[in-house]
Amino acid sequence: MDDTIHVRTFARFRELFGDGLEIAVAAPATVRSVAAELARVNPAGARELLDGEGNLSKSVIVMVNRERVAGAGREDVPVHPGDEVAFYPPVAGG
Amino acid sequence: MAGRHRDLSDRDRERYLRQIPLVGEEGQENLLNASICIAGAGGLGCPAALYLAAAGVGHIRIVDDDVVSMSNLNRQVLYGEADIAKSKAGIAAEKIRSLDPGIQVEPRDVTLTEETVFPVTEGMDIVVDALDNYPARYLLNAVAQERGIPLVHAAVSGYFGQLLTVLPGRSACLQCAVPNPPAGNPPPVLGVTAGILGCMQAGEALRILLGDEPLAKDALVVWDGKTGSWEKIRVRRDPGCSACGRGKNNG
Ligand SMILES: [Zn+2]
Repeated sequence: MDDTIHVRTFARFRELFGDGLEIAVAAPATVRSVAAELARVNPAGARELLDGEGNLSKSVIVMVNRERVAGAGREDVPVHPGDEVAFYPPVAGG
Repeated sequence: MAGRHRDLSDRDRERYLRQIPLVGEEGQENLLNASICIAGAGGLGCPAALYLAAAGVGHIRIVDDDVVSMSNLNRQVLYGEADIAKSKAGIAAEKIRSLDPGIQVEPRDVTLTEETVFPVTEGMDIVVDALDNYPARYLLNAVAQERGIPLVHAAVSGYFGQLLTVLPGRSACLQCAVPNPPAGNPPPVLGVTAGILGCMQAGEALRILLGDEPLAKDALVVWDGKTGSWEKIRVRRDPGCSACGRGKNNG
């Protein structure tokens, strides 16, 4: 029985957190608790994943099971064991 | 396509000898008669302009309000130390003309604003978003939507880059894909990262002109130069998008 959440990361987040992570979070898990767990185990990465108040940075793109979750309530989207959560920080330079 | 139609000449047949087997004579003629606006003549715009010109795109408009500075030279490959303090649009146009005097190159030394973005995109078949900030990128995206012009977006930071191709009415737009821009100072950029993404932009523009499906339609195509991999992050059209959805008339 798969009781962990698969985390995928892209670009800078792959460099900071690694990719293909299996993380365990207490049920009921949400996008917020998954991000918080990533930040807990990697404080250096936390500065780019979370904002000053500990919320997920607004610009970070989040997908649950490869579907984008967006908008104000996205951190409360539930995540179940076996689900995949992906994080990508869009870039700006030219 | 602006101006009078240009047929393939003997010179064109020779110049594009190694390319016509791929794109066909008709495809090559499409390129010769196409007009592309490159917004931003920096790390992305320089390689995009070079490769579009080399491929035979007949009319290139280069938009940039900046002058060349020493710290540009690690990635803005159209410029050298002798160009410092000169207009990027002007120098870029000069260099492109020297590579192929047959191309119509139009430098526009203007800042993109709500007033200038409309005339700057006039008559264009494709716009290339090679800008360095999201407010200007969103302006260009909105006008491309309004005019129905395909837009090829790229952005870079460090070893990483992203590509998105927008076909108005047929795909997600930049605002759908990146609704909240990242904050912070101009990022460090490795020249080759900008080179890779600028070339990808040129490739997407050529695909559109040749009638092929773009690689980055409804997907952020992400380059990871640390691991040497490309990933596709699927993007859906947001029905409430302020640029392409029902939010667009609400200011
Ligand atoms: Zn949109």
